[in-house]
Parts: sequence; structure tokens; C-alpha cells
Amino acid sequence: MSTVQTLDISPVGRVEGDLDIRVDIRDGHVVNAWTQAELFRGFEVILRDKDPQAGLVVTPRACGICGASHLTCAAWALDTAWQTEVPRNAILARNLGQIVESLQSQPRYFYGLYAIDLTNKKYKHSPYYEEACRRFAPFTGSSYERGVTISGKPVEIYALLGGQWPHSSYMVPGGVMCAPTLTDVTRAWAILEYFKANWLESCWLGCTLERYEQVKSYDDFMVWLDESPAHANSDLAFYWKMGLDVGLDQYGGGVGKYISWGYLPHEDKYQKPTIDSRNAALIMKSGVYDSATDTHVLMDEKFTRENISHAWYDEDTGDQYPFDRTTRPIQNNTTDFANKYSWATAVSHVDFGRLEAGPFARQMVAGGTHGESWQHHDPLVLDMFKKMGGASLHLRQIARMHETIKLYRQAERCLREFKLNDPWYIKPKERDGRGWGATEAIRGALCHWIEVKDSKIKNYQIVAPTTWNVGPRDGTQARGPIEEALIGAPIADASDPVEVGHVARSFDSCLVCTVHAHDAKNGGELARFRIG
Amino acid sequence: MANLLWLQGGACSGNTMSFLNADEPSACDLVTDFGINILWHPSLGIELGDNLQKLLRDCVSGAVPLDIFVFEGTVVNAPNGSGEWNRFAGRPMKAWVQDLANAATFVVAIGDCATYGGIPATAPNPSQSQGLQFLKRDHGGFLGKSWVSKSGLPVINVPGCPAHPDWITQIVVAVATGRAGDIGLDEFQRPKTFFQSFTQTGCTRNMHFAYKVSATEFGQRKGCLFYDLGCRGPMTHSPCNRILWNRQSSKTRAGMPCMGCTEPEFPFFDLAPGTVFKTQTVMGVPKELPLGVDKKGYIALTSAAKNAAPRWAEQDIFVV
Repeated sequence: MSTVQTLDISPVGRVEGDLDIRVDIRDGHVVNAWTQAELFRGFEVILRDKDPQAGLVVTPRACGICGASHLTCAAWALDTAWQTEVPRNAILARNLGQIVESLQSQPRYFYGLYAIDLTNKKYKHSPYYEEACRRFAPFTGSSYERGVTISGKPVEIYALLGGQWPHSSYMVPGGVMCAPTLTDVTRAWAILEYFKANWLESCWLGCTLERYEQVKSYDDFMVWLDESPAHANSDLAFYWKMGLDVGLDQYGGGVGKYISWGYLPHEDKYQKPTIDSRNAALIMKSGVYDSATDTHVLMDEKFTRENISHAWYDEDTGDQYPFDRTTRPIQNNTTDFANKYSWATAVSHVDFGRLEAGPFARQMVAGGTHGESWQHHDPLVLDMFKKMGGASLHLRQIARMHETIKLYRQAERCLREFKLNDPWYIKPKERDGRGWGATEAIRGALCHWIEVKDSKIKNYQIVAPTTWNVGPRDGTQARGPIEEALIGAPIADASDPVEVGHVARSFDSCLVCTVHAHDAKNGGELARFRIG
Repeated sequence: MANLLWLQGGACSGNTMSFLNADEPSACDLVTDFGINILWHPSLGIELGDNLQKLLRDCVSGAVPLDIFVFEGTVVNAPNGSGEWNRFAGRPMKAWVQDLANAATFVVAIGDCATYGGIPATAPNPSQSQGLQFLKRDHGGFLGKSWVSKSGLPVINVPGCPAHPDWITQIVVAVATGRAGDIGLDEFQRPKTFFQSFTQTGCTRNMHFAYKVSATEFGQRKGCLFYDLGCRGPMTHSPCNRILWNRQSSKTRAGMPCMGCTEPEFPFFDLAPGTVFKTQTVMGVPKELPLGVDKKGYIALTSAAKNAAPRWAEQDIFVV
């Protein structure tokens, strides 16, 4: 038997926050993997006993990248707890804020965090290498510079609504703080058009949105790919071809089961928000997709479970419903891969086990025929998944970028639907209660639970997309989604394991968000708060 | 050519995200036009694992000159002063911060967390976080009150949650073009060029402030946010309404009260029940008045303002 080489990578970098990974390598391939979340800030302790609206201020600042998503969750959680009425303009304004944050992330993530690895010397023998360097080299690559710079444009629309991005708190229970005028709306249209003309169509797609939207299947995509020189020269087509040439479709698959909370509540269907009525009110439906049985079902917060067997907590090692859990963190967070090695817990579905969250998961869910007939349905990525023999880090990228076009259309729709003379806010009555808010941050399923008692926060909790993805082994010793996705990855050069970086970055992990509460002073029992 | 290293401690990456929104110069312009050599950045750097550890050690030893060390996020000291809750590149981040700050010519704290401790240091400060040279209003922080970098300057603090991209890029350009000596710092080591005027300076709601017309609840186009909704614009030092956010607007213009995030007390009142988005008053008079105004003066000013208010002040002037 050949030797196993163990490689500790600290840090992985170009994920948000501090991620360490250990991999065992045999015959040049990863045979075992452990992911470690290495930062801990303790936001939940800060929120406990604070003003009920403190989450609107604190949680966007838990993650500077997904702040609008946190704010969305924080606002809807309070809406359900306070039983507010939210006017349709406010639903649209919240959705628009969330959408433009996600649009921002697409070029910023693709060029800034992901594609620069294609300029790694490992790929110098690829016929695409020189062109990859021309396009994707950090700071100087033609597409890098264009993409990273233009990524600041969509969130200008966020500033029109909330004053600034990141870190506004303009979504509040009962609606939004702003009341945009005609010039705000026309300015927003102009910003969207600029983004489309100067990057999305001209650089990424090499065609109009309308042409790309005709692509409904793997075969359609193959036709599109070489239909014209403009298509073939687009960054999308270039990435597709290079990704296949260097084998990015050959690894990085993962657990094969996917979660989406769904997102974008319809402005006419969620004005009296409750936890139970959310699924039927969403434009982008929720769901779980199990690829082993090819089945789709709706997702519900009640199915969420957590396990701390391999996380730095001293608690019951059985699966627990997040909101019922109390947290006894371990003071001395020594790494022990046979035992405890991460601040992230292992999140799972009570029936389906470990699930992958993220834009790829959303497209797997969007391919299902479950849910309401009016809800969004899109068969493309699920068809690619089936035709290409399952998941890979390559397809994870394609799924993510595919969503850009749909997000763009939804942004247009919000701008069309605003009724400028109608209300933006209905002042709610503050009361005690329990609430839950969810959305899809660009990197995946995000939700907040809140309990308000005696006019202050009794308990506030978050399960973040990266908690789903980067979690350690669970009580059954099953690997987390990223750990699983690393298995089989080829490692060409153990002194520069770019392939591990590829896999980790394909999930767009956000470690700053996977934060657990821990009272440093006494190590006492705490409720907790994890972010992403 | 100036070598710049940017690291994050107890951070949300918000200042990095804000920095990437920059224009004139953009992040790419800094590299291509201003000769800023970004040695490594958590969201942008190429190296990982051992290769990064070697680069960091070379910066500490001086083998690679470290001209500008930018730090975002708090210095995490938990548990028990060890800093083990924020490990990076094989050791507690605080150990890297100490070594790199001592090796650097200039040290820049970006955002509230690195400046004052920010949100993570809100009571009860579970991660035992500190800013580089302050904890809230207390001078000292992680590096100590008398610490100066090789240039002789203390940490240059660029607060804000997040800091505006222009505040970041302009300071970097000033340092890179040999103008560090022109950066005058205030009592919190903030560049005066940005932090001498008020958030209110340039606010589109100033006329409503002047005539004491209040926005009594959210979702209104008219009215000042100071009187009822807890806006701290008249007490906060920042250029948010002079140098607009994302080239478009500001929180107060859009209808969101200023939360005073460039000041050391942010988040104010530690977010205690009843303090969020509500002006704290005694007998109808705000507990905190526009900077330098006393209670007697305030009462005289606002009653005169009410009397003088024209009819249009109560109507929407920012119409559809």
C-alpha cells in the first residue's frame, strides 16, 4: 500500500474568514479531509438582552459580504415575531436590495476569488493558459480588472435604497426606511443597464440576455457555445472550455443532496408574513433535492438539526433542533481531528442528512416540479448535472453564474413594480414572540431565529450557508459537504495544493459568518449565534 | 512602489468589500497606476498555506520590506489573553499583528473593529476584542498608548462601519506618494481631512432640521431624523454627506438615521432595549444635543425654528 501524506493548509485564503484544511493524500489524490473554522467572535452574547431591533444593526455586520441577506432575515424574523403588515413596496425594496448585493458578488467572486487560480503554473500546459493569464491575472487581467471594478456598480442601487453598501439597516419590521423617488428609480435602471452593457452581455455572455435565456438544456448550451465567435470568446464559454480541459469537472462533487430556503417573497403574497405561509409566497421556491433518488421536496425550518460531536462544544452529542440548543463551548479549542476540530457545527436535515447549500443547490432545487405552479422553474443546471454525470466544482461555478441573468431580470421586475405614491412602511406594534426569517444569500441558505421576551432579545440564532457547507463530521462520522467534496481531488504539487483551494473556493465559503458564541470570561452556558 | 499587506482579525470583511467598491482610484488602479504592491490580502492573495506563512515571516524579518500594514477587524484576545479563538497561518492572529506592526513603516487600522473594537467589543465583549490602539474611548488598545510605527506615526485610524472606500484609498495614496506627513490626526488618530466636519454637513434633510420638522416614522421623504428616530448626524464626525456612498447617497439622505459609526462609542448605548432607532429624550428634549449646543440654547433655537417654519417645510419637497 502506498504512503499517505498528510497536508495541513493554514490558511486556505480567498475564502472569507479563516479556514484551515487538513487533507490526507495517497497516490496524488485526496483520500480524507477535515475543514476547520478558526475564528470566533461571539455575536450572540452581544445580542442577548438587547433591543429587539438590535439584530438589524448587528447581523449585517456579522458578514460584510452578505449584509443585505442578514438584514433580510433579521427583518422578516421580527416581522413574523411582531405579526406586522409589510406593504408591497417594502417587499420589493427588500428584494431589490438583496438582489443587487448578489449581483455585486458575481463578478467580484468569480474573478477576484475563483478564476485567478486558473493562472496557476499548474495549468501552463493547457492551450488555454496564456489566454487565462490575459483575462484572469490578479489586478491586471482584462476581465479581472473589468469585473472587479464593475462589481461596485449594482450596490449603488443598494445605496439609493439604504444609503450605503455594505452595512445599511434600512429594512425594518413593517417595511423599509426609504421612500424612493422617480429619480431613484430611473437612476437604478441606468445602473442596471450599465452593468449589463459593460460586463454581463459584452464580457460574460457575448450575447443578449434574450439569446442566453433560450438555453434550457445541456444540448441548448452546446449549441450556444460555438454558435458565434462572440459566444465562443465570452468569459462564460472560455471558462467552460478551460474548466473541462484542465479537468475541473472531474472532482469537487460533494454530498449530492441540496438545500434552498427559497427567496424573494412575492410582493402580493407575503404582506402578512408568518413562518408557515412563507413557502407558498416565494418567487424562488424552497426545496431539498436528493440526487440519489432524484426527488424534490419543500424545505422547512423545523427539519434543521445540529450536531456538535466534532465541534468545540461540550454538550449532548445527539442531533438537536437549533433553537432548542444551549451551548457549552470548550474553553481550550485544541485541534484534535479524531475528536473536536472546528467552531462550526454539523448541520443536517432530519430526513436527508448533510446537505450542500449555495447557488448550485438553488439550481438543483429550481429544476424540480414541486411547489406552486407559478413559482420559478429552471431545468438547465439539473439537466447539465444529469448529462455530465453529477456534481463537480466546474458545474458549481456554471450554476452560480447562470443565476446572474435571473437575478438581473428580478431586479428589473422590482423597478417596474414599485408604486411610488403607495406606502413603504406600516408602523408595527412591538410585542413579545418568536420569529424566523430566511433567504438565500448569494452563497446559500441563511436563516435567523429570534425570541423576544419582556421587550428584549431572549435568544437569537443563525444558521448560515457556510455552516451547512463547512461543518465538520457529525455524530455518524459522516463528513461535511466540503470535506466530502475534497475526496478524490488530484494534488499535483503538495507544496502548492491549488486543487484544495479550488474546491473550497467553489463553495464561496464565508468563515467570518460561521461564528459561535462563547463567553470568554466564565465559559458559561450560552445560547448562541452563528452567522453566514 | 510600496509593499502593502492587509490582514483581517475579528472581522466581517466589510471594509474589504467597501474598498472593492472604490473608484478613482479603484483597487486595480492602486496596483497598476500608483505602484501599490499588494503582497497579500485575505480575499485577493494568491498564496495559501505554507507559502503565505513564509511571506509573513519574511515581512517580519525585513527580508520583504513592509511599507504599509493594513489591519481590518479586532484583535481577538480570547480565551484568557491567548488569542487562540482567532488562529491564522498556524498561530494566534494577535501574534502576527504584533510582529508585523513592529516591522511596518506605516500601520493603518481600517474600520471600527481595528480602530476601537467596534461591534465585537460591544458588551460583554465575548471575544475579548481590542482595537489596535484604542478600546472604545480608552487610548492604548492592543499595541499600547505610546506605540509608534517605524515612521514615527501611531496607527492611522480610518473608522466607520465600514470605512468609505475613498477614505481608505486616499490615505493609501497619500502614504504611497510621500504625503504621510500631511495627514493630520485628531485625538482618535483619525485623519482630520475626513473627520473634522459632521455627518450632518451636506445632509439633504438640513432644512428640515433647521425648521424642526421631524420624520416621525420611517418611509417618509421629508423631515429630519434627529428629533425622533435617533439620528446622530449632528454629533458624529464623518464626511458621509460630502463624499457620498457608492457614489449615490448616504444613509440620512435615504432615510436611515446615522448611528454614529465613526465614533468610539458605536454601537451607542450597547444596543440596550429602547435605544435602537429612537431618540433618547428627557421631558421632550433630546439627551444628546448637536455638538456644542446647550439645553437652553437648544430650546430657544427650536422654538424660534418652529415659529419661523414656512408652510412648505411640512410638505414633501422630495416628491415623486
